[in-house]
Amino acid sequence: MAYTPQYGPGQSIVAENRRKQMNPNVKLEKIRNVTDEDIVLILGHRAPGQAYPTAHPPLAEQGEPDCPIRKIVTPTDGAKAGDRVRYIQFADSMFNAPSQPYQRTYTECYRYRGIDPGTLSGRQIVECRERDLEKISADLINTNLFDPARVGIRGATVHGHSLRLAEDGMMFDMLQRCILEGGTVKYVKDQIGTPLDKKVDVGKPMDDAWLKANTTMFHSLVGTSYRSDAEYIEYIQRIHSLRTKYGFMPVE
Amino acid sequence: MAKIERAQKLFLKALKTKFEGDVADTKTGFYNFGGLNQSPRKKEFMEASKKVELRRGISMYDPNRCHLGGLPMGQRQLMTYEVSGTGTFVEGDDLHFVNNPAMQQMWDDIRRTIIVNMDLAHQTLQKRLGKEITPETINEYLHILNHAMPGGAVVQEHMVETHPSVVDDCYVKVFTGDSELADQIEKQFVLDVNKLFPAKQAEHLNEAVGKSLWQAIHIPTIVSRTCDGGTTSRWSAMQIGMSFITAYRMCAGEAAVADLSFAAKHAGVIQMASHLPARRARGPNEPGGIMFGHFADMVQTNRKYPNDPARASLEVVGAGTMLFDQIWLGSYMSGGVGFTQYATAAYTDNILDEFTYYGMDYIKDKYKVDWKNPSPKDKVKPTQDVVNDIAGEVTLNAMEQYEQFPTMMEDHFGGSQRAGVIAAASGLSVGVATANSNAGLNGWYLSMLMHKEGWSRLGFFGYDLQDQCGSTNSLSVRPDEGCIGEYRGPNYPNYAMNVGHQGEYAAIVASSHYTRNDGFCLSPLIKITFADPSLPFDFAEPRKEFAKGAIREFVACGERTLLMPAR
Repeated sequence: MAYTPQYGPGQSIVAENRRKQMNPNVKLEKIRNVTDEDIVLILGHRAPGQAYPTAHPPLAEQGEPDCPIRKIVTPTDGAKAGDRVRYIQFADSMFNAPSQPYQRTYTECYRYRGIDPGTLSGRQIVECRERDLEKISADLINTNLFDPARVGIRGATVHGHSLRLAEDGMMFDMLQRCILEGGTVKYVKDQIGTPLDKKVDVGKPMDDAWLKANTTMFHSLVGTSYRSDAEYIEYIQRIHSLRTKYGFMPVE
Repeated sequence: MAKIERAQKLFLKALKTKFEGDVADTKTGFYNFGGLNQSPRKKEFMEASKKVELRRGISMYDPNRCHLGGLPMGQRQLMTYEVSGTGTFVEGDDLHFVNNPAMQQMWDDIRRTIIVNMDLAHQTLQKRLGKEITPETINEYLHILNHAMPGGAVVQEHMVETHPSVVDDCYVKVFTGDSELADQIEKQFVLDVNKLFPAKQAEHLNEAVGKSLWQAIHIPTIVSRTCDGGTTSRWSAMQIGMSFITAYRMCAGEAAVADLSFAAKHAGVIQMASHLPARRARGPNEPGGIMFGHFADMVQTNRKYPNDPARASLEVVGAGTMLFDQIWLGSYMSGGVGFTQYATAAYTDNILDEFTYYGMDYIKDKYKVDWKNPSPKDKVKPTQDVVNDIAGEVTLNAMEQYEQFPTMMEDHFGGSQRAGVIAAASGLSVGVATANSNAGLNGWYLSMLMHKEGWSRLGFFGYDLQDQCGSTNSLSVRPDEGCIGEYRGPNYPNYAMNVGHQGEYAAIVASSHYTRNDGFCLSPLIKITFADPSLPFDFAEPRKEFAKGAIREFVACGERTLLMPAR
């Protein structure tokens, strides 16, 4: 019998949103159109138009060893070209940001190849070959995984995910890499905090109703209460109980 | 699981003092606090640095230039902290162990302590040398030892000695479970179990110690600071050997001295911590080797407040996170400065306290555990369902409190802070309900899984590792996989790497004994030794002592200003 992934338990909208984000058969909803050039600016790894710096010669030129694994795994475009490994890192507000650290990691692992995600409480990083990163970043920024006000693209000094929001609804960022101006959010610094020569518009913040309907985090004050999803809690307790019993006496 | 009503919110006073406006608001202002100038302590640092720079001609603390290339901290409100259970508000900087002499002294008092059995030496003296041992000879020996232990000469001519004012924290007392013997020893030298402990605990301790006689030795702070924890047994054994020679008029070179030395250095020695393997490379009496059961015995709050096992356990959390997170992992192992904030979350602003007392109310309401009258009688059988129920409810309540009070979420701005606090409340609640440390640990791990799935985040890479595999080892007792809680420690597999766990684990172990009103958790000897009112650090009130250190009212030992010109 073929395995059909279920992408997690739960009957709440939060659980459903999590499954939709993870399931690669569900198309992510495109909401905004930040250009490729602007994404390169926010990432700050190379100048727009600049050739991709390389970490090694293209695979076709460097002579690959006779390796069965290499025959099985098709290299990504970035790996083929010998690109450097670079990153994009997000800070997601706990006030209903659409994606959240572990959720991002799970989603990326289901949807993309050749990636190395890292998950923390206040930030989530994904690293991969540079040209692959730019494609993935376009998805992560232009779709329903992103909100201009509640999600920050931050390489360092990420403090803010758990803080109250600013009066204008923006998540705190001590570097103020992006500002709300004329109803849209504009990046004035790249993700590491280097000032940009031009402002990069990433669109209008989503409204509270949309955020509540699309978030993947439980929150009893501004969103969906965790306690209300009994199936979710029961499932976690079941996993914990099985792990405990197996650790105690691995015979069942 | 079902939420229970609890009107009292212990953290509200702290939140209202720390934050302006409604503590339940979701929005606030930023970027207008004046940066570092909002903090009196940071301003003091800047002024102090200027003086240092003038004196030495080398630049130092310069946050306006060095922090993020010219963007100083303080774009958000720089918070003060209330040390839990004390009502004292302090600046975060004052809870870094470098700035807090009480924290240093707590660790000094552990590292410089060694317990040495006297029965072995007495048998050697009696059986091998035919010497008579009486209360009088023991008293004479203790006089000599209290002269020798700080660094006084007892046998040789023309010896150098230490200045008493520099080593005034060094002394030796004895204890025994034999009340008759204890009565015959001079009061100044005795740790009187019957007077120091509540009756039930004293009975338990006296029974465990029996007729044996033990020396509780504290070598000078300045010695263990200059050398290391491995020095403690050596320093003490040297002075013990010389004192026996003097007290019992032995020949300094006779072979029987070797027996006394062996007893004082090895056979009769109880170290506070075992030595560590080469990759962590520390001698005995260093923090990484302290078993959680032993640490739970060092903290004395349950002796002073036997009817509040929650409070006593919270004091273990405070003391444990300070030692294991701030000093052990934060400095010994990583060399970092920022670990302080992982630890302080667990003993400031009464947040963990509130979550834990919610657990107490819950176990009383649902399981009829009369936690204010600790005894083994009303404890709940630790089934998996019971653990899941208590830890699950305490976790959900704690998460909801963070959600309902956004200023509290802002207070504990890091996931590891919240994870440690929520899981600690869960583990302590299970520990108090069941009196089973492994059940408590199992509650901790369920809490971690529930937390991670609810908020889709937990701590950080390594922090999460031990929690994601913890369910599996929490009831395993196979070598290298698991152990009963009392025998686990900072060097236990999976525990050796990350902050925000070890102090809480020690407290979970403690809670499972405090709830029974046990005299001790793992070692009656360690419990009695740290009940000593002569110790500079009061192990019954660790958080209060830290607060005193923070507001610069704690007087530490091991000072050498006496020996230097005044500045």
